[in-house]
Amino acid sequence: MSVEADLLTWIDSLIVETLAFSPEEGIPGGARMATLAGLCASIAPTAHSLGMAETAACAERLGSQIASPGPDFVAFLEQQIELLQLNADGELAARLSQQRVAAGGPAEIFQDRSMIGDFIGEAREHLEMIEQELLLLEQSPQNPEPIHAIFRSFHTIKGLAGIFNLTSTRDLAHEVETLLDLVRNGALPATPSLVDVVLACADRLGEIVNLLAEDLGDEGVPLPDNTALLERLRNQMMPPDDDPVLEAAGVPVAAGNVMPVAAGNVLPAAVLPESDNVLPVAAESDPAAARRRASDSSSAQVKVDTSKLDFLVDMVGELVIAQSLVQQDPSVVQFGDPRLGRNLAQLGRITTDLQKTAMSLRVVPIRQTFQRMQRAFRDLVKKSGKQAELELIGEDAELDRSIVEQLADPLMHMIRNSVDHGLEAPGEREQTGKPSTGKVRLAASHQSGNVLIEISDDGRGLNRTKILKKAIERGLIPADANLPVDKILELIFEPGFSTADQISDVSGRGVGMDVVKKQIQKLRGRIEIRSEPGIGTTFLLRFPLTLAIIDGLTIRVSGERYILPLHCVQEIFRPEADSIYRVKGTQEVVLIRDRVIPLLRLYQLLGRTPERTDPYSGILISIELEGRRYCLLVDELLGKQEVVIKNLGEYFSAIPGVSGGAILGDGCVGLILDLEGLLSKESFDAAA
Amino acid sequence: MNTVSAPSAAQYLETRGGLPPAAAAAAQAASKHLIFSLGKEEFAVPVAKVKEIIGMLEVTPVPHTPPYVRGVINLRGKVVPVIDLRAKLGVPTAEYDERTCIIVVQPEMARSVYLIGVIVDGVSEVMPVQSADIEKTETFSHGLISANYVQGVAKIRGKVKILLDLDCVISQADLRQII
Repeated sequence: MSVEADLLTWIDSLIVETLAFSPEEGIPGGARMATLAGLCASIAPTAHSLGMAETAACAERLGSQIASPGPDFVAFLEQQIELLQLNADGELAARLSQQRVAAGGPAEIFQDRSMIGDFIGEAREHLEMIEQELLLLEQSPQNPEPIHAIFRSFHTIKGLAGIFNLTSTRDLAHEVETLLDLVRNGALPATPSLVDVVLACADRLGEIVNLLAEDLGDEGVPLPDNTALLERLRNQMMPPDDDPVLEAAGVPVAAGNVMPVAAGNVLPAAVLPESDNVLPVAAESDPAAARRRASDSSSAQVKVDTSKLDFLVDMVGELVIAQSLVQQDPSVVQFGDPRLGRNLAQLGRITTDLQKTAMSLRVVPIRQTFQRMQRAFRDLVKKSGKQAELELIGEDAELDRSIVEQLADPLMHMIRNSVDHGLEAPGEREQTGKPSTGKVRLAASHQSGNVLIEISDDGRGLNRTKILKKAIERGLIPADANLPVDKILELIFEPGFSTADQISDVSGRGVGMDVVKKQIQKLRGRIEIRSEPGIGTTFLLRFPLTLAIIDGLTIRVSGERYILPLHCVQEIFRPEADSIYRVKGTQEVVLIRDRVIPLLRLYQLLGRTPERTDPYSGILISIELEGRRYCLLVDELLGKQEVVIKNLGEYFSAIPGVSGGAILGDGCVGLILDLEGLLSKESFDAAA
Repeated sequence: MNTVSAPSAAQYLETRGGLPPAAAAAAQAASKHLIFSLGKEEFAVPVAKVKEIIGMLEVTPVPHTPPYVRGVINLRGKVVPVIDLRAKLGVPTAEYDERTCIIVVQPEMARSVYLIGVIVDGVSEVMPVQSADIEKTETFSHGLISANYVQGVAKIRGKVKILLDLDCVISQADLRQII
């Protein structure tokens, strides 16, 4: 390794030497230039002797440039040295792997699970970055920053693939790199079709990485054939003769102009890498921001296994409970020592701070999900032949990690709908006096303890007459129903409203809006629609900041404590005399301000032996569920508190009416009631 | 999850591809069992399956579950289901006293790691059970307990210990049916 080590040392010195240069200074003095020339002269032959052709070539180029410095010398120098370093790293890694292969064969390397796991993680990160930078490049083809970043990422992937002896992957990355180098040197313009090809290659690499991830440790992973992609790449490298003016100017080429080659075409629209179980604590996927922040180097980040994070949060929750147990312990309270009191108060403050920090670990910015949408949007628009742009607002808004993760599907569906059904074709838009390019907006913001996500388009809006007609056809509402406007719009969330004839190539998987609504409700969110004919449609999604904590109302029923989610509770009151009736001997009802509301005895729903059956001695809690009101009879109201939701585990996965447990102040478990499940159980029982 | 509870040596070896045949035979020949009592009977379960033993805690009942499911407890911040072994095996139930304890076990067939508490009358000791001492279930019939739950009986120092199939006892198959 000594020759290789020498080489690396020289390259390092080269970098150190050039660090002192500044572009304003012009061409540096003779002594420094001599040092540089000396270093290059040492690097080139050594690289040659190690069979590192690209590194050697780079060093030679550098040497000749130093001998006769041209304009922009410093910039050129920096670029070349970076390239030199990348090449050296890549080629050294490849050499190393070859040596290892010679020693132990590829199987051995593959069997090293943690190593291939690292490769997968790193490759996915780079692929994600490539995707973002490519979109940036498409928007501003003249900007050199993205192309450098993309180049670096592909280069790293190439090096990694080399280490693991994934020859075809390495070759693909290498070809892309060659193409990008041409763009970097200004030999080729960054046209949309070029971006397409590079995206397709990134997708393919993503597929390969996913295959590797699925088949961890298996040496015989069948990797897809890259021939067609390579062909496309090489075509791109031809100078753009056919349409030079248009492409060179960076004018978007009409979608039809890009000939899809078979392999590129079969790629799924968005193969999005998602690192299993590992999340960046503060998701940092915007490379531009990453660079900005890297310069002030204030926020370093670590990757943490999510299960460790969950455990930490759990334990902090326990600490809070233990702390309050100590603080409220009768013997401590009786003792009444001021110093003990002070120390306990200090402990309390620290615990609260710790809890806040722990809770903040659960939230991540929504940026990553939004950026996934941007990529998908681009592909959707291309396929649909419409013109549209996506505006992202509030990517920094933070919300619960699991919401962010599970939000992608419903968002994708709504954006698909916007592009496919909402936005009109350019001609139609111009006729109605709108700009031919449609606009879809994806915005996130915090609002009164909730996160608000808005998906809006300036398309044709929802057609109420059509919705009504369809709902009547499908038998969702009676033909003579007289519905207010917002109720009509809400019909699209009814199961069975969306049907197969609606699915186009773009609109995708046949998931209806009812599924979207279910997914959002599962995340404890709410969805609203606003739509004006001819002006556009807006979907409003509201989510709690975190799924881990719920604002609950602690109640007592037959000697047991339960927690009701506060967001369903409307009113709490003692029943007035003679306000409870039994209609036709079946369902009990309460009369509140001339409204008749069904009365449900919670002890019955929970299958408990009642402590007392007289409803007038208990408390009524009025709740609203899916637009209907109910009154629950409970024995006692214990108070309102925030509780940490704990899963009841696999053993109880199917219990209706209970959504989880919470550790109460005294260390006992209280069950959190799932009213929807409880009432459907009730209706089920009643029907049976 | 290994931060929460370190896997036992046996499980560790199992995941590493099993014990060498000789060692496996030796392990089987005398594996350590936890002895606990239920009424007049003494039962044995392999120590490897037991995560911990705790005294009786306050149990929160869970609605719409079979009677043997007593509910959930707070095990240092984890919500853990507990079942009453007397009720599960059909032995007449008894009041819980200071000897009553919860044996926390980790089911083997679980898709994810989770724990279940089993309420027993009391635990007595941990002792090696020789495979030579074990009589298989075919030849064994016990008046009270369903043979499904019994792997065999072992005679140790003149006393009979019933080898309980814990995985079978805590399987949710019957729970699923009820819900």
